[in-house]
Amino acid sequence: MSGAAVQTEATIVGAEIAGGHDGTAEMVVSIQYENGVVGSVTLDADTGFSIMKACGAADLAALIGRPWREISKGL
Amino acid sequence: MNMYDILIRGGLVVDGSGVPGYAADVAIKDGRIAAVGAGLAGEALRVIEAGGRVVAPGFIDPHTHFDVQLLWDGAARPALEHGITSIVPGNCSLSLAPLKAADRAGLIGMFQQIEELPPEAFTQAFEWTWEDFAGYRAALEKNLSINVAPLVGHSVIRLWVMGADAQQRAARPDEIAAMQDLLRECLRAGAVGLSTSFVDVDEKARPVPSRFAQFDELDALCAVLGEFGRMLQIVPEFYDTDITIARIDQLAELSLKHGIPTTFSPVFDSHLTPHAAPRQLARVAEQFARGARVWPQMQTRPIDISFSLLRPSLFFARLPTWMRTLRLPLDERLAALNDQATADRLVADAGPDGGERLMGELIARGGDAIPAGLAGRTLGQIAAERGEVPARTLIALSVAHGLDVAFLAANRGHDRTDRIGPMLADPLVHIGASDGGAHIASFATYGDTGFLFSEFVRKAGVLTLEQAVKKITADTAAIWGLKDRGTLTEGYAADIVVFDPATIDRGEERPVFDMPGDGMRYVRDSIGVDTVLVNGEVAWTKGDYTGSTSGEICGIAQTRLTGDPHRRAL
Repeated sequence: MSGAAVQTEATIVGAEIAGGHDGTAEMVVSIQYENGVVGSVTLDADTGFSIMKACGAADLAALIGRPWREISKGL
Repeated sequence: MNMYDILIRGGLVVDGSGVPGYAADVAIKDGRIAAVGAGLAGEALRVIEAGGRVVAPGFIDPHTHFDVQLLWDGAARPALEHGITSIVPGNCSLSLAPLKAADRAGLIGMFQQIEELPPEAFTQAFEWTWEDFAGYRAALEKNLSINVAPLVGHSVIRLWVMGADAQQRAARPDEIAAMQDLLRECLRAGAVGLSTSFVDVDEKARPVPSRFAQFDELDALCAVLGEFGRMLQIVPEFYDTDITIARIDQLAELSLKHGIPTTFSPVFDSHLTPHAAPRQLARVAEQFARGARVWPQMQTRPIDISFSLLRPSLFFARLPTWMRTLRLPLDERLAALNDQATADRLVADAGPDGGERLMGELIARGGDAIPAGLAGRTLGQIAAERGEVPARTLIALSVAHGLDVAFLAANRGHDRTDRIGPMLADPLVHIGASDGGAHIASFATYGDTGFLFSEFVRKAGVLTLEQAVKKITADTAAIWGLKDRGTLTEGYAADIVVFDPATIDRGEERPVFDMPGDGMRYVRDSIGVDTVLVNGEVAWTKGDYTGSTSGEICGIAQTRLTGDPHRRAL
């Protein structure tokens, strides 16, 4: 039996900065869902700042491990 | 004895069809290609020697925002000098007609959001004489050096019919019928199709009018496109792959139902979302197999990040102190950056190397404020000369120039030639999405065609010269239904580019101050392009524009789907 913890809600597992179509920096957030599948969401600068503010994250690294439910309040 | 206007002699003719290039002359008479063949007999008023050069059809750029610029610059500079002889403006739901005088201010805000043009571009550079599409066409035709196939924007059609409600609610049946009539009028006046957007916003961050449309409205407008066999262009929610795929399916249904071509842009590749573009292209292939036409537009150039400290940028999202400081109100931000202790903390937060890894490769871009001698150089180089670390230099340069110093982080997306090359070579991928004339103060949207040859033909070898030419000439003309353009065929318009296949490229990005009101924009010069002819007249040669006004509004061929669906793709 696996020793991995059972994940009960969608969680941020990664956050990176990428170039956006319009030349601005965008945030690409990787989310692992309850079924184990990892998907990504690309957020523009304003939205990226909003979610960081909403959850009190000082930098990208602080988003990792947080529930997507909590993060998405800033959307 | 034949008497031609121009004879282009001794070049390698790459005629746009995709067949191997062949040695031949090209003769021009009355704006048309009169003959193509080896050793053409006859005399000409002008002979262009093309030994060692490729002679190809003029390139066609299907995604631009030159709508405003064309009114004072009929060459859409510098697009034409890169070999582009036809452009499609009016993308992303926005065009300059039809538009009532009372709605001009509102539309200017939307255009400024996209194009970053200074206000003077709309108030000083031209006389706004039209309201309807035919009037805009007439204003354009006065001074064109380049050919134009204008889209009409869904947002302005909505604005005309619904007024301020266009940005507030769905349309009623009577309003949809009025929009259909208006679209019909625009298509009769020469519009190549309709553009719409599911993502764009105005200068107040409000969704543009097209985003308030329900599906029945779009379906009704596509029914009108079907009467003419014209194009629907959309900007889907490209930041979300699943929604974009749903839009591809929606476009396919509209294409099949109304017998129209459709296209969406942008599609770009990122190492952070490596499955996004392949998944979209796979769904496109499925829909083409059903007989639909859903052309994905992909740009050739990599995506760069551009920023200054005037506005917070997520570029600094890994650095807590920088994030906290840059999100302060502007006056407090400036004061903080001027404070030695704060600057020391920022430098420390940039890492033990003083930001060398994070910031050393940033390029100081010029913009409005930086000394010319520093523009184009890396922050690492400038810092070394100043005897400091890059983070310190970034702060010092910014503070010394009121924070109005732009920096560029190059190649931060769509930058893997080994991945992008095969996608560009896919027969179902439409090379486009240049955005020419847009985002002008952020980055240069010119030279993508030169980059196609330098990066994907010469360097990577993923496309042959002939395939690359076909992708941006004959294929584009066929996709959009541009009549008698796209190949070097007798009787076709003499849109021709003469270039050096060994050197054609895009130049370095540089700032210029040639917008109305001395507004700044970034441009790239062409490299390796000798001569560009538009409708049989030399429009650019050896580094100079000739002042030719031979450009015209492109004629549109009927492209309605008929017969075997498997013949509907190229």
